[in-house]
Amino acid sequence: MEVLPIVIPLAILLALCFIAGFIWMTMKGQYDDLETPAMRMLLDQKEIKKTTKEITEDKLDPNKD
Amino acid sequence: MNRCTHCDEDILIPIFSDLDSDHKEPFCCNGCLTVFNVINMKGLNQYYEIKKSSDIFKRRSPVETKHQRFAYMDAPEFVAEYSYLNLKKQRTMEFYLEGIHCLACLWLIEKLPEFLSDVETARLDMQKSVATISVKSEGRFSNVARELNNLGYKPHPLKRNQSTHDFRKKEDRKMLLKIGIAGAGAGNIMLYAVSNYAGAPENLSKIFNVISVVFAMPVFFYSATPFYQTAWNALKNKTLSIDVPIAMSLIMGVIMGIYNLMTGVPDNYFDSLTALVFLLLLSRYFLNKIQNDGLTANDLNFFYEGNSVLKKEGNSFIEIHPQFLRAGDVIKVGSNEMIPADGKILEGESLINSSLLTGESRPENVKAGSEVFSGTINLTNEILISVEKTKEESRIGKILKAVESGWLQKSHIVDLTNMIAKYFTAAVLILSGALFAYMYSHGTAHAALDKALTLLIVTCPCAMALATPMTLTRTLSRSSRKGMIVKNNEVIEKLSHIDTVFLDKTGTVTYGMLKVDTFNVLKQPQMSVYSIITSLEKYSTHPVATALKEFAVTMDKTSDLEVKNYIEVPGIGVKGEINGYLYEIRNGKIFENDEVVAKFSLLDHIRPDSHDAVKNLQSMNVNVTMISGDQKEIVEAIATEAGIKKENMYSDMSPEQKLAMIEKTPHSIMVGDGANDAMALSRSYVSVAVLGSLDISLRAADIYLTTAGISHIPDLITISKETMKVIKRNLILSALYNLLSVYAAFAGFISPLTAAIIMPVSSLTVLISTLIGTKKLNRILAKKEIK
Repeated sequence: MEVLPIVIPLAILLALCFIAGFIWMTMKGQYDDLETPAMRMLLDQKEIKKTTKEITEDKLDPNKD
Repeated sequence: MNRCTHCDEDILIPIFSDLDSDHKEPFCCNGCLTVFNVINMKGLNQYYEIKKSSDIFKRRSPVETKHQRFAYMDAPEFVAEYSYLNLKKQRTMEFYLEGIHCLACLWLIEKLPEFLSDVETARLDMQKSVATISVKSEGRFSNVARELNNLGYKPHPLKRNQSTHDFRKKEDRKMLLKIGIAGAGAGNIMLYAVSNYAGAPENLSKIFNVISVVFAMPVFFYSATPFYQTAWNALKNKTLSIDVPIAMSLIMGVIMGIYNLMTGVPDNYFDSLTALVFLLLLSRYFLNKIQNDGLTANDLNFFYEGNSVLKKEGNSFIEIHPQFLRAGDVIKVGSNEMIPADGKILEGESLINSSLLTGESRPENVKAGSEVFSGTINLTNEILISVEKTKEESRIGKILKAVESGWLQKSHIVDLTNMIAKYFTAAVLILSGALFAYMYSHGTAHAALDKALTLLIVTCPCAMALATPMTLTRTLSRSSRKGMIVKNNEVIEKLSHIDTVFLDKTGTVTYGMLKVDTFNVLKQPQMSVYSIITSLEKYSTHPVATALKEFAVTMDKTSDLEVKNYIEVPGIGVKGEINGYLYEIRNGKIFENDEVVAKFSLLDHIRPDSHDAVKNLQSMNVNVTMISGDQKEIVEAIATEAGIKKENMYSDMSPEQKLAMIEKTPHSIMVGDGANDAMALSRSYVSVAVLGSLDISLRAADIYLTTAGISHIPDLITISKETMKVIKRNLILSALYNLLSVYAAFAGFISPLTAAIIMPVSSLTVLISTLIGTKKLNRILAKKEIK
């Protein structure tokens, strides 16, 4: 039981650290969007490769009148 | 059935790309095919691989390829009003995107900077379907919008109202902080409470109590503030809500805890009470979060603000945003474009589709001098319009204004929990009084007060307050995954009282567009009749022409023939010479040298699932009624096909008449998709907007279905009835636990330890009961929509 005077303040300190961290993260907006980042991490950061198909750009460009 | 490669819609008649000779990749429409080609051309075909492996789906509709102009986005006044500088000082605009679908959409949107040189960064919020896009210093938002449109996401620029936006964000963060602090407090207190229950020696127990009080204070004085506030509001309005007994227990708990600490009595209820605050806040937060998915009414602009208009300036036309139109301006509206303001036609003759405004499905002929209204669609020829009324002044503007105030005035119901709260509070107060009197007659005032207060604390209706939000959270989150987005938690309870369903016709029960119904070739013409159709109707944008062309392409391979002396007579038909033969398409007939060779009829087809949905509703004893602005014979034909009873068909209804009818029927659902339904929607007991509506402001309805058609309506009613069953069961269970604690208090063996056992066990029981649900509810919620 002699260890309690050290352990209890330590536990409280640890708790306070976590609370402070939580407050900081919330204020920084880390919890604003909970859905997208979870999916974003599933995607590769790979650069996209331009593939040249036989189709010409003009034929398919919907902006071309 | 086949599903579209791009949008996963069921396909009736598949179409294939020219390059896809094996017919491996079917599409539902040309729009989806175009987008598929654009995506492939840009080397973004990984999109389809990601989509295949992703199981997080939101339903969406086939892509509409609509020619849209976005140049107005570069006008300085538009940029000033709609964009802002982000933290890195980049010009940023937010777009609400239609058609955000799954993981692959996220990938595609966030790849924008790699294939569009205008874009600096692109971020997508999947929950809200809002993309935040910042451009380089020389970048143009019009290019961004055009690219998004090409990829199949119709962009709507959002005017970011800085103050309300920030306010909501701050509120959201504050709520999270409250929950976090309550959780931390409860967790730490539990640590010391358990030591005390386990029999810590007295000197340590005292220290533990002090620590508990220290951790409990922020929970009671910061985290629990919402309860005090709502309780106070309820009392001010002379009613009782479930928060009143909760606030009462919390306050008593604090008073007693501090008093006991000072007098050296070890008892306090901080462990149970802080855990309760944490659980309640959490359950309410989740419910709130689900309801606020998607857009709120505040985010929505008038729907017609999506396209630019051509305003006459001197001898030329400039593109501006409809927002900046003024009375007296002259504008040019091309074919298949929406008319942005009320006015008179100066030049040109055309057909107008006003189904969005009035529900009338047949196009109307207009010429110079005719009045036209904003929100209607110009179908065939270019017209010049002199603007008379814009925005809120216009007829549709007035309707939308009425809609807006309608949402605000919607009647609220006192939900089941708060109704019970009245009796509960009274019962608890009477019981504590009785306990006090009983104890006082047997002992000291101090002991009696102590027991009475304890009763007030331990009868805190924690499980009761959890019962409803937990059940609703489960139901709402499951149904939103199935494409039924419920915006308002009262709706589930309201839905269980429904006795009448009002259906709009065009676009709700039917597809909302003309399709070929019958086609008979009477005499084989000189060349393929389908080639004649495609060649002759090539330049016509009349709905009949569109329907015929679509039909011809699906029937046979067509070739493009040369047409001489082509004439289109608005409102009548088209004429032209092919290989020396004179062909004419008019009045549902095709002529070759004035001889009829083929006959056809067109119909706005009923959706295949409408009939079953109506039958299901009728078997639930729900009155199904069709109210439409369309003509009598059309409404009757469709309603009969859907199986609606003769006395429940109403045609030629104006938006105002629809509203009057809705107001006469207290427990009704209105299902609709157009601005002509909007007024009725905003005032009905429960409103359901279905996908396919051009007017995104309708998404502010109580329920928004991301699937077209009415097949989900019977499900919705069953879900609500079953959910109410679960809520009632939860309320009974929690009441039983409260009875148990009352009994314990009277029998005299109540202590912080018994409270610490009863409270979590009762909450856990309610949670388990919620998760078990009912058989029917689970079956409906588990039914899979998309593979």
